Parts: sequence; structure tokens; C-alpha cells
Amino acid sequence: MDKFTVYLVDDDAGVLKALSRLLRAKGYEVKPYSSPREFLKQHDPAVPGCAVLDVSMPGLDGLELQQALTAGSSHRPVVFITGKGDVPTSVRAMKAGAIDFLTKPTKDTDLLEAIRRAESREAEARQRLSELEAIQAKLRTLTPREREVLTHVVAGRLNKQIAGDLGTVEKTIKVHRSRMMEKMGLRTVADLVRMAEKAQIGPYWTNGQLDGRPIPPP
Amino acid sequence: MTRTHTVWWSLVVLFVFAVEAHAAEPRRVLMLHAFGHAYSPWSDMAASFRAEIIRRSPEPIELYEVSLDTARVQDPKDDGPFVEYIRALLSRRSPDLIVPVGAPAAFFVQRNRSQLFPTTPMLVLGADVRRIPGATRTEYDTGVLLDLDLPAYLTNILQLRPQTTDIAVVVGNSPVERFWTSELRRAFEPFMDRVNITWFNDLTFGEMQERAARMSPQSVIFWFLLSEDAAGVPYSEDRALEAMREVSAVPIFGMGDYQMGRGVVGGPLMQTKVLGQQGADAGLRILKGERPSALNPPSVLFGTPAYDSRELRRWGISEARLPPGSIVLFRQPTIWEQYRWAIIAIAGIILLQSILISYVLLQSRRRREAEAEAVLRRREVEHLTRVSVLGELSGSIAHEINQPLTAILSNAQAALHLLAQKAPDLAEVRDALEDIVHEDNRAGEVIRRLRNLLKKGERTAESVKLNDLINSTVGLLNSELIRRDINVKLELADNLPVTSGDPIQLQQVLLNLVMNAMDAMGKTPIAERSIVISTRGKPTASVDVLVKDRGHGIPALANGHLFEPFYTTKEHGLGLGLTICSTIIQAHGGKLTLVNDQNGGAIAGFSLPVQETAARVM
Repeated sequence: MDKFTVYLVDDDAGVLKALSRLLRAKGYEVKPYSSPREFLKQHDPAVPGCAVLDVSMPGLDGLELQQALTAGSSHRPVVFITGKGDVPTSVRAMKAGAIDFLTKPTKDTDLLEAIRRAESREAEARQRLSELEAIQAKLRTLTPREREVLTHVVAGRLNKQIAGDLGTVEKTIKVHRSRMMEKMGLRTVADLVRMAEKAQIGPYWTNGQLDGRPIPPP
Repeated sequence: MTRTHTVWWSLVVLFVFAVEAHAAEPRRVLMLHAFGHAYSPWSDMAASFRAEIIRRSPEPIELYEVSLDTARVQDPKDDGPFVEYIRALLSRRSPDLIVPVGAPAAFFVQRNRSQLFPTTPMLVLGADVRRIPGATRTEYDTGVLLDLDLPAYLTNILQLRPQTTDIAVVVGNSPVERFWTSELRRAFEPFMDRVNITWFNDLTFGEMQERAARMSPQSVIFWFLLSEDAAGVPYSEDRALEAMREVSAVPIFGMGDYQMGRGVVGGPLMQTKVLGQQGADAGLRILKGERPSALNPPSVLFGTPAYDSRELRRWGISEARLPPGSIVLFRQPTIWEQYRWAIIAIAGIILLQSILISYVLLQSRRRREAEAEAVLRRREVEHLTRVSVLGELSGSIAHEINQPLTAILSNAQAALHLLAQKAPDLAEVRDALEDIVHEDNRAGEVIRRLRNLLKKGERTAESVKLNDLINSTVGLLNSELIRRDINVKLELADNLPVTSGDPIQLQQVLLNLVMNAMDAMGKTPIAERSIVISTRGKPTASVDVLVKDRGHGIPALANGHLFEPFYTTKEHGLGLGLTICSTIIQAHGGKLTLVNDQNGGAIAGFSLPVQETAARVM
């Protein structure tokens, strides 16, 4: 896995250089960008890390950049640094999921602390994502009929009821159910329900569609 | 002596006819002059008498005048030819009246009366009473005589000049003058204890002048009579008096009115004119047939004391010292008396002009003061607008300073962290420190620009590189431009000529124009927001600066009012920005223009003259 990388975006070359130097001194991998568009173009969401963004930048400001980041598949944690920390901007940033909103000149402890939080958040999210990906991989091995049975089981229906719902006999349902449980690597219904919760497969999710969309953090 | 032999005869015969009586028998009057007929004071008396009797006589007067010179000769042996001459002159027409002028002439007639018309009336004119006592007169004789109050002369002198210690008496050396010298000596005797009296009778006139020139200030000259000096030189018509006055160091007092105006101070004076008039009076009565011995006219005394104003002033004698009722002659009218109205008119004109000039000066001073105040006000307003612009920009400017501060802090902390490591990367620490220095300079630069703009001062004139000024201005606005999503493009000409001016004021203009451009683009789509600042130089003429925006342009209504004070199209504008910019550019010899761009937006621009010095390189 790649090293945790701090993506630094600030149009001010002096600030960019100084912050890079600081974070590198603390052992971080730093990728500085003076242009937000350049950053977006080169950004690889797969690489673990966080973004430290200046709020006020020509062309694309920090908040817009945050939106652009989260609009894609990236769940990149964002730390804002700004010269003018006005309240509305900070509220907007925090609502949009920013880790922190720091004012310039930024104390190193604040910045490092925010980055550490971003790091752990990132790790958690990554953890969740990998679990989900494992579940989804298993789900993809199911036949459509098995998926249908799965949603009905999660919804708490009995075999007989499921057979009625799907217009078949209980015996057939039992076969599907045992195959499904086997493919998912689960033994009990309780395990299945927990997994379904993680994968956000609920009783009203009935069309059997699972497109691997990442689950937003809780 | 040749002089005594050269007796000259003078005969003046005047036929004067009264217009209405040319057929009447003329009255013959024989005037006998003791001296030549031009010796004062006798000549003066004679002239007065002559004029008067001719004027007043009802019949024509036939006047015979004979000069005897006897006063100087005074030898009865010499009378013979004169008598013969007169007898010859008047053999066929005996005179009606004989008028000897002066005592010597009277003596001559008395000596020769038996041969000279013994029954013709004789009127002695101008002799002193002391010379012609009543006992010497016949029944055909009478006289209009003088009674000179000699001590009064000295009294007058001492009253006018109490400080007088010496009096020099000018008197000649002819027989008649010798008589008077002894008379004077006697009359002046009582004054001897008060003043020294010097007698000039034994001096030549030259010697008298020499003495007079050297006399002490406390001295005066009393000029009595000078017909002939000690050397026998005759002096007529008192030219001698005038010559004396030329050289005299002291005032000269005289004895008769005939001397007035010739240099004497004045005082109680013998009255020659009055004497002549009274003589004519008596003569006319005799001609009418009155008996001479019955006439007995009174002696002529001194008249009212008279003084010569010029002499008084010359010798510093106050008019307050003059006896009451004195007459002051030759009073020179003061300039005021002479030119009163001219002076009043000129003074009036001068006064009027002075008032006008004062008024004009006052006005011009007021105007200067007002101008100075206006300059001061304008400077203050300029300063205030700069301050207010900077106030608007304060957030952005704080950001401009905050950026280097952030960089400094982070660099410093990075350096600390680096140093805390076991094997510090010193090269990196050095870089960090160098960056700190650099960033600090950057913050300092922002503050310097700010301080320049906030400076309140006299307008200066220095070389200005407009490109630098534009860079500096844009630098100051950097954060604000970012905040407003405005892209600035600079198209600055290389080798732009240097202009001359006040960099602060010019920067204020640039700041204002760029701010206007920014304000104009509030509603422009973000992608289109841009300002282009360009410079263009014409090497010998001017430097042009253009600020082009993509904003709403100039509203049609605003056209023509843009440079008026307090006109604004902005919601919170003061309406002073462009007014001040225009004033500043005009003061720099340029012109500010503002037009709409054909492609939308506005173009603000100004051109400044190129500095005339050789410095043309950027």
C-alpha cells in the first residue's frame, strides 16, 4: 500500500513551500500544488492521504475544490487553512465534511493534529471500504434468485413465506438459501443481517441491484 | 580828486499834460537832488513825490530835476556853476515850486536863495528836523521833514535778538553821513553798557564785508546809510546792501522802508513813500496858492514796524517776538496756501488709489489664501480617499501580510522540527531560514506600499516608472482580485519612457481605476471577469496607461458627469474617486479618459508626458 500522502494546495508559493517543509520534517509524504485545477487533474483517490486546502485561491477556491473531490469516488479527508476565517465559510466547510478549518498563520501542532485525525479517519474509511468490497465481491457470486432470497431472509421472512412471495415451493427456497449462505460464508441469519446492514441492503431494497457504489461514511 | 570835478549834470524834463488841459499853463517844479538822483533814500522819496504830484495835480506839471552832488562835495565855493546853470535853465520860465530833496540840497538853496528865485516857495523834502531848524526858514519855505527816532532802532534789534552782544553800524563817510554818525553815537550812548557798538564809517566797503563775514553769531549789523565809503567810493541804489547780505554771517537791520526786500530784517522804519506823498500834498497846496509858512506840515515819523518774513526765517527769529500789530512782508505762501486745491485733489486721488490698491491687494491675498486652503483641502480629500480605498481593501491587505507571516511561522516551526531530529538536515534548515528572510521582506514590502499610500504629504515630483507602479498596485490588490475571482492580465510595454510625477498620487489613480474596474464586474460571470492593464510609450511624447474591464460599462446617463464631484453610479460610492483622479492627472499635465469598450466593459486610461531629461530607460 502507498504511504499516507498530504496533498497541499495553496496558490501562494511561499506558504506552499513552508508547509511542505514542515510536513516533510514531520515525516509526511507531501505533494504540493499551487493550482487547484492541476491538483484535480493529477489526483489519484486510491492513494491514501488527506488534502490540506487553502480556501481562497484564484480560479477554484477551497470549498469548490472540496466539492469536486467528494463529487467523485474520493472520500479524501480535507483540512482547510485560510487567511480569513469567517464563520459562514467555516460552517459550510465543516458541513461538507472537513476535518478542520484552521486559520493562517497555522500552528504546527494544530495542523499536525488535524492531519493525524484525517489519517485515522482515512484509515477507518478505508477499512470499511475494504470490508464492503469483500461483501460485494461475495454478493456478486450469487445468482439473481439467491439475491432475492437474501433480501427476503434479511427482511425476516420464513422459507414458506418466501416461497409464497416468489411463487415457488419451500424446498426450492431452502436449497437457494443454503447455497446463498454458503457463498456468503455465513452460518447464521444474524450474521447475514449484520452484513446486510453494512452493505446497506435493506428490506426495501428489492430490485436486486448492487452496483458497488461506495458506502458514505456514517 | 577827479570825482569831485566830474560833476555830472542831469536834467530830466518831463512834460506831462493832463488830457483836458493841454491849453493850460504848466506848473513848473524844480527838484534839486543833493546827490545824484539815484541815491537812496533820497531817490526813493523823490520818486514817490514825483509820481504823486504828477498824478494829483489838476494842471500839467513841468518837472526840472538837477543833481547837485553837494552832499558829497559840500563846498559852498563850488555852488557858483550850479546856480548859473539853474538860472540859465529857468531864466524864461521861473519855477512855481522848488523842492530840495535832502538836507544838503536845502542848504544849497538857503545859501543861494538871493540868486535863486527868492520869492518862489521852497518845499524841503526828507531832511531831518534836526538839520532844518525853524529859525533857518523864510516865509516862502516849508518842509515835509523826517523825525528819526534813532534809539528805537536799537530797541527793536534787542527785542528781536535779546542775545545780541555786538552791533556794527554801517554808515558812510560823506559829510551828511558824518553828521549822522555823530547823531547816532549820541543816540546810542545809553545802549553802550548792554552792547558793543562798532562803527564802520572809517572802513572801505570791502573791509566792511570782510568784517561782516566773520562776525560772531551774537552780532548784528545795523545798516544806516552808505552813500560813500571811507575810500570815497559812492554807492547808489543800495546795491551795497544786497552785496553785504550775500556775505554777512549775521542779520542786517535797516533804517528805511526802501531797504525792505533787499536783505534787512525790518523794524520801525523811515517812511520814504509816505514822505513823498505828504510832500506832494504840501506841494499841491502851495501850487494852489497857499502860503508855505502857513502850511507847517507835521514831521514824518516811523510807520508801523514792518518785517521781511524771509529774513526772519533765515535768522530764526520767531514772529512771536515782533511788536504787536507789526506787518510781515514777503511772506511766502506755503505750498498748502498756494496749491491747496491741487493738493486736496491729488491727496484725494492718492487716497482713492491707495484704497483701491489695498482692496486689490486684500482680494489677491484672500484669493491666495483660498487657493492655499483649496490645495490643502484637495490634498486632504486625496488622502482620505486613499485611506478609504485602503479601508475597503483592509481584509485583502491583511491577507497579503498574513501569507508571508504564515510562511514564516511554518518555516520556523519546520526548522525547529528539523533541528529536533537526531541527524538534522542542516541544508534544509538553512533553506527554511532563507525563506523566512525572503517572506519577511515580502511582508515588509506590503507594509511599505501601504505606508506610502497612507502618507500625507506635499506633492512631489520625481521620476516615475509606471510599470513598477502598476506591478506594485496589482500586488496590493492581489488578494482582493482572488477574492472576487478576477483575473488580471498585464500587457506592459518594454522600455517604457520614464515620466515625472508624484508616485503616491499616480498609484492612487491606478488603484482607483483598477478598483472601479473590479467594482464594475460584480455581475459579470466569473469566467469572464478579467482586467487588462496595458502601457504604451511614445518615446518623445507621452506614456499611455489603459485599464480595460469586462464589466457593465458606463451607463449612458452617467456620461458627462463622471468627473463631477459627488457623482457616483455605485451604491456606496462617494463620487470623489474619478474627480480626484482627473485632478491628479491634470496636475501631472495629462488627461484622464473613460470610454466604453466596443466589446463590452469600459476602458479607463490616461496619458502622461514623458520626462524631459535624458533618462528614458526603464
